[in-house]
Amino acid sequence: MESGETVGDMLARRGFSRRGLLKFAIAMTSSLALPPSLAPVMAENLAMARRQSVIWLSFQECTGCLETLLRTENPTIAGLIFDFISLDYQEALMAASGSAAELTLRQAVAANAGKYLLAIDGSVPVKDGGVYSLTGGRANVDMLQEFAPDAAAILAIGTCAAYGGIPKAFPNPTGAVGVEDVISDQPIVNIPGCPPIPEVLSGVLVYFVSFGRLPELDDRKRPLAYFGTTIHDQCYRKPFYDQGKFAKSFDDEGARLGWCLFELGCKGPTTHNACASLKWNDGTSFPIESGHGCLGCSEPDFWDQEGGFYTSLAGGTGPSWRGAEIAAASGVALGAVAAIAARRKVPGA
Amino acid sequence: MTLLSFARGPGMQGAVLIMVLGMFWRLAGIFLLRRRVAHAAARNKLGLRLLSGAVTVFTRTIPRRRFWPRVGPGVALSYVFHFGLFIILFGGAPHILVFYEIFGVSWPDLPKGVIVAVSGLTLAALIALLVRRLTHPVLKLLSTADDFFSWLIVFLPVMTGILLSGETVGAYGTLLALHLLSVEALMIWLPFGKLMHVALVFAGRGVLGYNFSRKGAAT
Amino acid sequence: MAALGVNKFDFLGDDGLVDALLMEVADLLRTLIADGRGGSIDLLGLPLSAACLAEVEARLGDGEICARLNVSGESVVRETSIAGVWRVRHADEAGNVVALLIEVAAVPEILKASRVDMERGLRRLREVTNFSLVRPAR
Repeated sequence: MESGETVGDMLARRGFSRRGLLKFAIAMTSSLALPPSLAPVMAENLAMARRQSVIWLSFQECTGCLETLLRTENPTIAGLIFDFISLDYQEALMAASGSAAELTLRQAVAANAGKYLLAIDGSVPVKDGGVYSLTGGRANVDMLQEFAPDAAAILAIGTCAAYGGIPKAFPNPTGAVGVEDVISDQPIVNIPGCPPIPEVLSGVLVYFVSFGRLPELDDRKRPLAYFGTTIHDQCYRKPFYDQGKFAKSFDDEGARLGWCLFELGCKGPTTHNACASLKWNDGTSFPIESGHGCLGCSEPDFWDQEGGFYTSLAGGTGPSWRGAEIAAASGVALGAVAAIAARRKVPGA
Repeated sequence: MTLLSFARGPGMQGAVLIMVLGMFWRLAGIFLLRRRVAHAAARNKLGLRLLSGAVTVFTRTIPRRRFWPRVGPGVALSYVFHFGLFIILFGGAPHILVFYEIFGVSWPDLPKGVIVAVSGLTLAALIALLVRRLTHPVLKLLSTADDFFSWLIVFLPVMTGILLSGETVGAYGTLLALHLLSVEALMIWLPFGKLMHVALVFAGRGVLGYNFSRKGAAT
Repeated sequence: MAALGVNKFDFLGDDGLVDALLMEVADLLRTLIADGRGGSIDLLGLPLSAACLAEVEARLGDGEICARLNVSGESVVRETSIAGVWRVRHADEAGNVVALLIEVAAVPEILKASRVDMERGLRRLREVTNFSLVRPAR
């Protein structure tokens, strides 16, 4: 893209009309739960914007978050986001490698200092100087601390980057933490999920490019438009929950009738995400619709939740039977001691 | 660790262990007390004495007619509350689920509408009992901190349970945590205050019936 | 764009939602007539059951205009039986609905040609025709 060219100019060069841009903006305002009247404003702002520089650093991750973004089926509308951003550095996608890659990174940072969005996927191991995840021999925690200060904002993409994710699961041998545990003096938006819904990332990027700031966030720094409600709030099986119709085991009669999966461990009521409304794979389905309860993957520490994925929210982890036996025996012993001590005081006994 | 994961994990474990230990402590501590030796001969055989003890548990459920004007309202309110709680605890789907997860047994639940109605009655009875305790001239004199604290520690699970199942006020996760924590608080307090009547009322009536039978006194 | 599937709030009764929605449409139409400012209602942002949605569409009816747009997938702009009230349905290239609106306007924004597009069109027109016949725009 020619320097100085706006997004509008670039789209026009490729034969994409302003009408198309308006349609995109209408779809985005609906997705972001913004008033429809903002769509023309968003379209105009996008047209006038320069492409937003995004520097993507991958830390201790499985690459699932990147894959989910790339695998969106719809070519034009979702893919359009790549026209609004300039992905100046991303190790899995770019051609350069080795020392050429390092040079690319430094040039991108220098050229866009103060203006780039720093996208992070993967957790940040901090134990033993962060030696458990290195890029080009350099600890990820050091890279984060070097490149965060010059970023306009930081996007922590996926539960690993947001909260530590699977590397942080007990016993957390690498000392993995989320981005917000390392950086405290920069605007951060968490886009959790294992993986996150790709439209959420596009929505946040479009909002930032259109309005120059991050959208409204909740107390866990998640965009309210997508994480303001729980899966349970939007779930199409909620009527069954209300009527007390629960599947008791996988593939039983109730399960086949599409009854609520609460008793099979569904964490929908305590999980904030847009899965039940946006769904996955361009609206194909989501876990509950496919017959499996929600794992709670956009919440912190979901891997370590009490009782695991299949213990319902009504239950948890109680003591072992052995522990209860010991408690009972100890109680009897204490009672016996108390009774004997009292015996001395009973006259005539 | 969030409040909810604490409530579903260490909180649950600690509360159950303390409750088990405490209940065994108190029951053992009472039953192992030495009793005054009764030198008179027993008027009834052991079998009949034991039967009388068991029967007395049930015959004492209704006060004698003579006392109805005086204790009737309190007893009636109390039964509404206790039966209501029993229905919620053993008829509500999430509670049956907990029993299933612990003991492996379950039974059909009651419709949610029934539970909602019963919850309302239970809560009303509980509040009415407090009002009675605060306004009745004799109860006012007799009431101690234990009475009020025990009331509160029963009120909180009922109240949080109603709010949680209503799903209108507050976040589900927060209400669930509060409900679990209030139940755990009740479990921890149960063996040590007047709430221990859950076991002692039956023990007390049983021993009374047994002793009366031993003396040949009809009850 | 993901398919923002209509939430299946089928267990909800009508409970006045359709009436409330139509009252809001009436309100927007009133301000459009009074001072030229209409507005839009995002139907995907409302807990409308399929039945409610059908009811809304039935009550609004069909008017004289139906426009099919071929812009990053199909979009359909349909005038309702009430002049100035339009039903707009945007779909992506896979056919998933990405926006569903009731727009109150003389003409929906999406139908209008933008100035930028028109200027570009004029440039192309000049390139493909005889120069002398077409004057540059002022």
